[in-house]
Amino acid sequence: MSALPAFEAVAVDYWAVAPMLVVVAGALLGVLVEAFAPRESRHSAQVALTVGTLVAAFGVLVWRSVNHHSVTFGGSVAVDGPALFLQGALLVMSSVAVLVMAERFGGVGGDAFTPMGASTPGSSQEAAAAKAGYATSEVFPLTLFAVFGMMIFVSANDLITMFVGLEVLSLPLYVMTGLARRRRLLSQEAALKYFLLGAFSSAFFLFGAALIYGFAGSTDLAKIQSAIAQGTTGMDGLLVPGVLLLIIGLLFKVGAVPFHMWTPDAYQGAPTPVTGFMAACTKVAAFGAILRLVYVGVEGSRWDWRLGIAAIAILTMVVGAVLSVTQTDVKRLLAYSSIAHAGFILVGVLAFSKAAVSGVMFYLVAYGFATIAAFAIISMVRQGGSEASHLSQWAGLGKRHPVVAAVFSLLLLAFAGIPLTSGFTAKFAAFAPAVTSGGTAGVLMVIVGVLASAVTAYVYVRIIVLMYFTAAPEAGEGEEVVALMPSIGTTVAITVGVLATILLGIWPGWALDLAGRAAQFML
Amino acid sequence: MGDAAVTIGTGEQVMFWILAPIAVMASLGLVFARKAVHAALGMALTMIILGVFYIAQGADFLGVIQIFVYTGAVMMLFLFVIMLIGVDASDSLIETLKGQRWAAGLLVLGLGGILVSAVGSVTYGLSDGVAQTNTSKGNVPAMAELIFGRYVWVFEVTSALLITAALGAMVLAHRERLGKGPNQREWSRRRFEKGENLAGLPVPGVYARHNAVDTPALLPDGSISELSVSRVLSAREQTRSPLADLEAEDAIRAEIESGSER
Amino acid sequence: MTAFIAGPNGTADFSDTPLWLSVVKALFIFVYLLVSTLLVIWFERRVIGRMQQRPGPNRNGPFGLLQTLADGMKSMLKEDLKPANADSVVFTLAPLITATMCFVSFSIMPLAGDVTLFGHRTPLQLTDLPVAVLMVLAVAGVGIYGIVLAGWSSGSTYPLMGSLRATAQMVSYEIAMGLSLVSVFLYSGSMATSQIVQAQESLWHFIPACFAFFVYVVTMVGETNRLPFDLAEGEGEIVGGYFTEYSGMRFAMFFLGEYINMFTVAALATTMFLGGWQAPFGLPDNGWWGLLWFTAKLWFFMFVFVWLRGSLPRVRYDQFMRFGWKFLIPTTLLWVVAVAFYVAAKNNWFGGPILQIAGRDYSLAVLIVIGVCASLVIVASWILGDRAERRAAERLPQIPVEVDPFAGGYPVPPLPGQRLVEPGAADDAYAATKEVSRG
Repeated sequence: MSALPAFEAVAVDYWAVAPMLVVVAGALLGVLVEAFAPRESRHSAQVALTVGTLVAAFGVLVWRSVNHHSVTFGGSVAVDGPALFLQGALLVMSSVAVLVMAERFGGVGGDAFTPMGASTPGSSQEAAAAKAGYATSEVFPLTLFAVFGMMIFVSANDLITMFVGLEVLSLPLYVMTGLARRRRLLSQEAALKYFLLGAFSSAFFLFGAALIYGFAGSTDLAKIQSAIAQGTTGMDGLLVPGVLLLIIGLLFKVGAVPFHMWTPDAYQGAPTPVTGFMAACTKVAAFGAILRLVYVGVEGSRWDWRLGIAAIAILTMVVGAVLSVTQTDVKRLLAYSSIAHAGFILVGVLAFSKAAVSGVMFYLVAYGFATIAAFAIISMVRQGGSEASHLSQWAGLGKRHPVVAAVFSLLLLAFAGIPLTSGFTAKFAAFAPAVTSGGTAGVLMVIVGVLASAVTAYVYVRIIVLMYFTAAPEAGEGEEVVALMPSIGTTVAITVGVLATILLGIWPGWALDLAGRAAQFML
Repeated sequence: MGDAAVTIGTGEQVMFWILAPIAVMASLGLVFARKAVHAALGMALTMIILGVFYIAQGADFLGVIQIFVYTGAVMMLFLFVIMLIGVDASDSLIETLKGQRWAAGLLVLGLGGILVSAVGSVTYGLSDGVAQTNTSKGNVPAMAELIFGRYVWVFEVTSALLITAALGAMVLAHRERLGKGPNQREWSRRRFEKGENLAGLPVPGVYARHNAVDTPALLPDGSISELSVSRVLSAREQTRSPLADLEAEDAIRAEIESGSER
Repeated sequence: MTAFIAGPNGTADFSDTPLWLSVVKALFIFVYLLVSTLLVIWFERRVIGRMQQRPGPNRNGPFGLLQTLADGMKSMLKEDLKPANADSVVFTLAPLITATMCFVSFSIMPLAGDVTLFGHRTPLQLTDLPVAVLMVLAVAGVGIYGIVLAGWSSGSTYPLMGSLRATAQMVSYEIAMGLSLVSVFLYSGSMATSQIVQAQESLWHFIPACFAFFVYVVTMVGETNRLPFDLAEGEGEIVGGYFTEYSGMRFAMFFLGEYINMFTVAALATTMFLGGWQAPFGLPDNGWWGLLWFTAKLWFFMFVFVWLRGSLPRVRYDQFMRFGWKFLIPTTLLWVVAVAFYVAAKNNWFGGPILQIAGRDYSLAVLIVIGVCASLVIVASWILGDRAERRAAERLPQIPVEVDPFAGGYPVPPLPGQRLVEPGAADDAYAATKEVSRG
C-alpha cells in the first residue's frame, strides 16, 4: 500500500453551526416521516416536526451559538453578528410561515397545496387524489431545506459556499411554487418561470465568481478583500465585471429591477402561504448575502461599482412603486410592493456604514413579519371556494369582516411606512445612514425613496378605501366574498405579525439595539 | 515550477487550435440546431472537448469527471428525455414577444463585448498552480484535501441539494396509482353492460400491399372505421389513409383481369 | 518480480518513452485488439458449438479459424441500407462512435511491466493517468452515445426502444460497476492502473475485495449487453434492438465495438482484481512474460462470457433492473463503507492496541471492524432468509387433498398425494376445490 500523505481535518466550531445542523436533521427526519408514517397522520406529524425543529434551532442559536462567533470550516463559513441575527430572524419567521402553510380549513392536508402534484390540473385523477385524502405534506421538509439553504447563504464566507447555499434555498422554492391547489396551471407556469430565471441568475453568479477567482486567486471573501487591498495585480480588469455579475446574481433573488421579471408571476402563482414565506425569508437571506459580499468581500472596490447599483436601486423603487399602481390582483400588487421594498433596502445597503447594516437587518425583520401576516390574510379571503385575489372582490370587506380588514389595513399601512408602524421605523433606519454616510448619491436615493413611498402609500390607501368605503357588488347565494375562520396556527401567525408590526413601530429601541450590536462582520 | 509551467507545449497548442474551433462550433450548434437531439449532441461534444482541455492542462481528475459526469450522465439523461418526449419534436420558432430576438441579440453582444474587453485587457501572470500541485501532492489527493478539508461543509451540504432534488422530482412527477385499474374481465363485463363493441374494437386494416396499425380498416359499406386505429395515433394525426391501398388493390385486380384476357 | 518505478503524480514512469514509441505502442494495441476480436468470435462459436454438442465453424482454414475473416469480408461487401426516415448524419456517426470509443480505454491497460522496446525501457502501457480507471468509465459513458444515437437516428420504433433499454441498462449498471471499483481504489490507494497492479504484488484483490469482484463480474456482463443480460437486442421482443436497421459495414462496426468492449471490461477485471500482468505462484512475469499472463487472464474472462451465453437464459427486463438498483447498488455501497472502515483500521487511524495472533500483528480496530461487519452480514442474511422463506411458503399453491377427476368435464389424473373422490360427491368436491383455490 502506498503511503498516503497525512490529512489534516479542518477545525470545526460545532456550536456555531449547530442551528443549521438541527434544521437539516429535521428536514431529513421529515423525509423519513414522509416515507414511513401512515398517510392520515403525516400532516400533523410534519407540522409538529417542522415547527419543533425550527424552534429547537432557534433555541440552540440563542443558547449557544451567540457565544460562538467564529469563522469556521477553514474559512468557508462565518458565523458572526449579522449571520446570527439573520439566522435567528429566519428561524422565527419561517416557523410563523410554517404555521400559515399548515392551515387546513377543515381539509385533510394543507389547504393551499394540491393533493397530488403530478396529477394533470383539472383531471379526474386530481379529484380522486383529493377524495382519497392525499396531501402534499412534502412541502414541510422542503421548507426546512429552504431554510437550511437560507441560513447557509447568510453565513457564507466563500463564494462557493454562497453558491451552494443559493441553490439549496432556491430548489425547494421552485418546487413549492408549483404546488398550489387552485389555479394550478398558473402555479406551474410560475414555477417554471421562477426556475428558468433562477437558473439564469445562478449562471450570472457563477460567471462573476469565476472572474473574481481570476482576480484574487481565491473564492474566500477574506482573500478577495486582501487582494483588493493590495492593489493592482495586472488582473483588475476582472474585478468590476466580476463584482457586478455577482451582485446581479444576488439581486435576481431579491427581485430588483431589471431582474424582477419573475417576481409578480411567481408571487401570484405560488400557494399563498409559500408566497409569504418566499417574500419574507428569501429577502432576508439574499440581502444577508449581499451585505456580506459587499461589506466584507469587495468593499474596497466600491467606488468602481457603487453608482451602477445605486441606479438599480433607484430604478427598482420607481418601477416597483409605479407598476404597483396599475395592478388589479392583490398578490401581484404585493409583489410589486416587495420590489419597491427591495429598492428601499438597497438604499440602506449602499450607505456602507455599520449603522446601515443594522438598519437593513431591522428593515428585513419588520418587512418579513408584516409580509407573512399579509399573505396569511390573503389566503383566508375566499369567493366560491377559491382565493379572492382580484382587488374588486375585496370591496366592502370591511363591513362584513371588520377584524380581518382592520388587520390587513394595519399591515398595508406598515408597508406604506406610516408612523407608529414598523414600516416607518424601518424606513427611517435604512434611509438615515444613506443620508449621513451615503454622499450625494445617498441623498438622491433617499429622495427618490420617499417619493416612491408616497406613490405606494396611495396604492395601499386605495385598498383600504376599497375595503371600507366601497359597497360590495351584489352576489348570489354561496358567491359572497368571505374570510374563512383561521385555525389556531394561522391566528398565531397573524397575531405575531401584527404584534411585531406594532411593537417595532412604537417601541423599536430594543430591536434596533440588538441589530446594532449584531452589525459587526467578522473575517 | 515557474516558467516551465507557463510555456505551452507545441502539442498542446496544436491540439488547442484544432479542438477549440470544434468546441465553438459545437456550442453554436447547441444554440442554432433545429432538432433537439442535434443540440444535445453539440452540447456533449463541447463538454468532451472541455474535458480534454482540462486534462491537457494537468487537471486530470477534473477533466475525466467532466466527461464522465456531464457527457456520460447529464447529457445522456437529456437525450433520454428528448427521446422519450418526442422523437420528431423540434422547437416552435414563433416569437411571442415581438422584436425579442433582436433585443436579446443586442444585449448579448453588449454583454459579450464588455466581458471580452474586460478579460482581454488583463495581463495574466505566471501560473504554477496545477503543475506544482501535481508533483508535490498528486492531482487526486490535492483535490481530496480541498473537498474534505476546507470545503467539507459545502460538500456535505450538496447532499441536501440532491435530496431536495429527488424529493422535488417525486412530488412533481411521481403519480401514485389510486385504486386498481379494471382488469380484462371487468372490461369485458363493461362492454356487455353497455352493449357496444361486444367482440372488442375492430382491428386495423389489412390490405394487399399494406398491413400496419396506423391504417384504419374499412366497414362493409366501404366507409373508414375510425375505431380500428388507436386513438393516440388519431390524436397525433399519425394515421394514414387506406385509399392508396385500395387503389393499389384495384390496380392489381385490373392487372389480373387484363392478364386473364390476354 | 519486477521493480516498480513510479513516475510523478502517482503514475507509471514514461520518462524514457519518446513520442514515436508511443505511436508504436498504440499501433500494437490496435492490432492486438483486432486480432483478438477475430479470434474470439471464432472461439465463441466453437465453444458454444461444443456446449451444444455440434462442431461449430470448421470449414474455412484450419479448425475454421478464418471463418470470422470470411464473415467480415461478407459484411463489407453487403449492400448498405439506410431507412428513409433516418437522420443520415447521426445514422453514420453512431457506429463510428461505438467502434472508436471502444479502443480508447485500452490505452491505460498495463499489458505488461517494464519492457525494453527498441532500446528504450518503457512500461507496456500506452499511457497512465492518476485517474486512469475513471477514464475507462468516462469513455464507456461516451461509448453509450453510439447506441443511443443508433436507436434514435434509425427513425423506427424497435431501434428506439432497444436503444432506450440499452442505455438505461448501461447507465444503471455503470453505477454499480463504479462503486465496485471503489473498494479496489481504497485497497490500493490509487486510481492509476499501474499502481493498482503494483498494490496486488502480495495479494490479488479478488480475495480481499471478493464481493466487489462478484459485483464487477455481474455488471461487466450487463455493461456489455451480453447474455443473460442482452435485453437491448432481445430478438423475441424488439427484433434486433438498436441495430435493427443497420446492415453491412455499419453493422460490423457495432459488432466490433461490442467484442472490444468485452475485452475492455475483461482487461479491467484482470487489472483490478486478478493482479494484472503478474504471474501466480511466483512464476516469471518480468518483461514480456507479463503479456502472456495478461492475455491468459483476459481469455479466462472471455471463456466465462461464452460459458454464460451457452448456459443461461435471458432474464426479464424488470427483474434485471430491480436486481441492479435494489440489490447491487445498495449492497455495494455498504461494502464500500465496510472496506473504508477496514482500511482505516488497518492504517491504524483509529488507534488502539496491536494484538499478536499466531505470530502476526493485528490491530484491535481491524478485528473489531471485521467482527462487526461479519455479525451484521449474519444478522442480515438471517432476517432476509427468514423473510424469503416465509414469502416462498405463501406463494406455494394450495393443493386440495381430494380431487374430482371429472370436475371440469374432462378426466384429469390426480397429483401425487391426492385422492380421488367418489363420483357422487363430485359437485361438492368441485365447490370445495374452488373455495380452497380462492382462499
